[in-house]
Amino acid sequence: MRNETTINPKTIRKSRLSKKTREHLIAYSFIAPNFIGFALFTLVPMVFAFILAFVKWDGANPMEYTGVSHFIRLWKDPTFHKALWNTIVYTVGVVPLTMVCALGLAILLNQKLFARDFMRTVFFFPYVASLVAVAAVWNFIFSPTMGPVNNLLHALTGVPIEDLPRWAADKDWAMFTVVLFTVWKNMGYYMVIYLAGLQGVNPELYEAAELDGANAWQRFRNVTIPQLAPTSFFVLMILIINSFKVYDIFINLFAGADNQLNDATRVLVYQIYNTAFRSLDYGYASAIAIVLFLLVLGITLIQFQGEKKYGQ
Amino acid sequence: MSMRKLLGMTLTVILSFTLLAGCSGQKSTTPSAESPAPDQSGSASESPSTDPVTLKWALWDWEATTYYQPLIDAYREKNPNVTIEYVDLGSTDYMTMLSTQLSGGADLDILTVKDIPGYANLVKQNHLEPLKAFMSEQNIDPARYDGTVEQIVMNEEVYALPFRSDFWIIYYNKDLFDQAGVPYPTNDMTLDQYDELARKVTSGSGAEKVYGAHYHTWRSAVQLFGILDGQHTVVEGEYDFLKPTYERILKQQEDGIVMDYATLKTSSTHYSGVFYNNSVAMMNMGSWFISTQIEKVKSGESQATNWGIVKYPHPEGVEAGTTLGTITSLAVNQKSANKAAALDFLKFVTGEEGAAVIASTGTLPAIKNEEVINSIASMDGFPTDEASKEALTTATTYLEMPLHDKSADIEVILNEAHDSIMTQNTTIEQGLEDMTTRVQLILNN
Repeated sequence: MRNETTINPKTIRKSRLSKKTREHLIAYSFIAPNFIGFALFTLVPMVFAFILAFVKWDGANPMEYTGVSHFIRLWKDPTFHKALWNTIVYTVGVVPLTMVCALGLAILLNQKLFARDFMRTVFFFPYVASLVAVAAVWNFIFSPTMGPVNNLLHALTGVPIEDLPRWAADKDWAMFTVVLFTVWKNMGYYMVIYLAGLQGVNPELYEAAELDGANAWQRFRNVTIPQLAPTSFFVLMILIINSFKVYDIFINLFAGADNQLNDATRVLVYQIYNTAFRSLDYGYASAIAIVLFLLVLGITLIQFQGEKKYGQ
Repeated sequence: MSMRKLLGMTLTVILSFTLLAGCSGQKSTTPSAESPAPDQSGSASESPSTDPVTLKWALWDWEATTYYQPLIDAYREKNPNVTIEYVDLGSTDYMTMLSTQLSGGADLDILTVKDIPGYANLVKQNHLEPLKAFMSEQNIDPARYDGTVEQIVMNEEVYALPFRSDFWIIYYNKDLFDQAGVPYPTNDMTLDQYDELARKVTSGSGAEKVYGAHYHTWRSAVQLFGILDGQHTVVEGEYDFLKPTYERILKQQEDGIVMDYATLKTSSTHYSGVFYNNSVAMMNMGSWFISTQIEKVKSGESQATNWGIVKYPHPEGVEAGTTLGTITSLAVNQKSANKAAALDFLKFVTGEEGAAVIASTGTLPAIKNEEVINSIASMDGFPTDEASKEALTTATTYLEMPLHDKSADIEVILNEAHDSIMTQNTTIEQGLEDMTTRVQLILNN
């Protein structure tokens, strides 16, 4: 109690650390929760995966250094090639189609339409809905013999049901089906991003264009598109990255009760899961994961370049 | 450091620990109501101790499996000090889940082993307690398991004991045969006769269509007809011998005798459903389906009320009763803290007492004496014809997947190639060639 009076408020504030250092520390302490999470659950496993790619390990026995043999095996492994190819085909199918649909919807629902908010909700809904549930419904609708789609097609065209596409069950149509599903499921989300982007377009630009005699298409082509370029760029990158990481959609649409994908639908992440946890070949699985990582990293680097270009 | 900051950091740390905390679904079983008085436990002389012990049992499909609770109840009647908790890891990818859990140091004591490739993996990963010493100490004679234990010896050790042993049979719908005016299948059919019969009994179209036979989407339901002649195994790395089998089945699929594989798969159609609703006249399936079918007929869920079973069809020149088999076993976690208690439970479940409990629920235990066969055949709801009872005896049983060092890897390849062939993603020749190339890579690696 006696000491209380001896404390000088000035000495409390005076620390051995400079003001700048203290500010940095405070800033870091705010980042810390997120960073600790990132470090524990992302960074450490990632570094571990890099190590694993060069060893043979089954999860229990001691690791065995194997050098680059996993990568040589990758080069020659037909199932890996197939998985990579399928992933690329899927990405090429999904990305442009989603962008066009999302942009179209955004422009449409940016007009003063009847029940506009309701329609926005309708298109956003598939994105919120549980994947497992909608995939089951989708598979039912597209069921080759009993589904309404083929029965409708049959009624309209008169083609016998057996000759119609078997959609998810058909090796030639499976990719088309999954692309269609993904676009339908996710376009609502990108529509919202585009809607946000559209709010940022200066209306005066449209007025000026109109005064210069530009028609609707010219206004869209010369005002909307360039003004939305940063948004489009963002959407493009997120779409590509998400397409490369796809797994859940394929499992839910195609894998059936025993979680098995075949040559027509095998994707990279499935290949990683299968190799690691079914074949207990963590090393080889990590090598595949690194290839996927490098692909995504490459795209992200392009994005960083693009961000500079389209900067705020 | 201010209090607020300290509080914030503490919360962060706590939060990260809650994230780390395990998240497996564990439940304690309700002790049976008629638990005997504690003093009766003295009669169980083998009981290692009477201190309270809690054992964790890894299994799948708790809800759908009829014998787990009776087994626990029967065991607890003699050992009231033991509490058994189950950890249901789900049937899809069960062995993958189990291996991952064990590698992560999960405190499981008793492990149910679902299949041979998964067993081989667990042994290779050193998760399983060797049992040979325990078996000789407790006078457990492997001979009582009909030679199945010999088939799972690894490194001259045994790491699991079977408590269930199932084999494949043909289930058929008597009403559909009567309607079609076709005689019932018999206990001695060649594969060609089976094919012929399936074609005869197929009829109708659209919603009224009756399929002559049904193959579930498992590889074993189709591919393994090819190993019944005993000339080949699926781990030897050459697969040309499967060609006639695939040709026959794909022909049936093309001719509409059986449902389309790809459609069944994408719609995740369960084999029981199509049998229940009278869509298929015959179905090859494991003996595990007997108890389910009996139960569902009683509950009214299965409309196939007039049914029977016969022995598996066999290749020309092979003895009738030759079939495929699969065993379900129990093992003990090598890192279990309650090894003695876990071993005692394993001994109970895989022994005669356990077998009697399992048989009483209509499931075939690994110890199959006459008593067990009679107990199942005399169950209320089991088909009453003589042929069905006779179908419960087998000649030679080949394991669905023989034990092999690389059987898990091989199985993945076989499953994928099978899927590609059955969905007609590849031709039969290409698919079999793909199997051979890829398995050879594994075998020589």
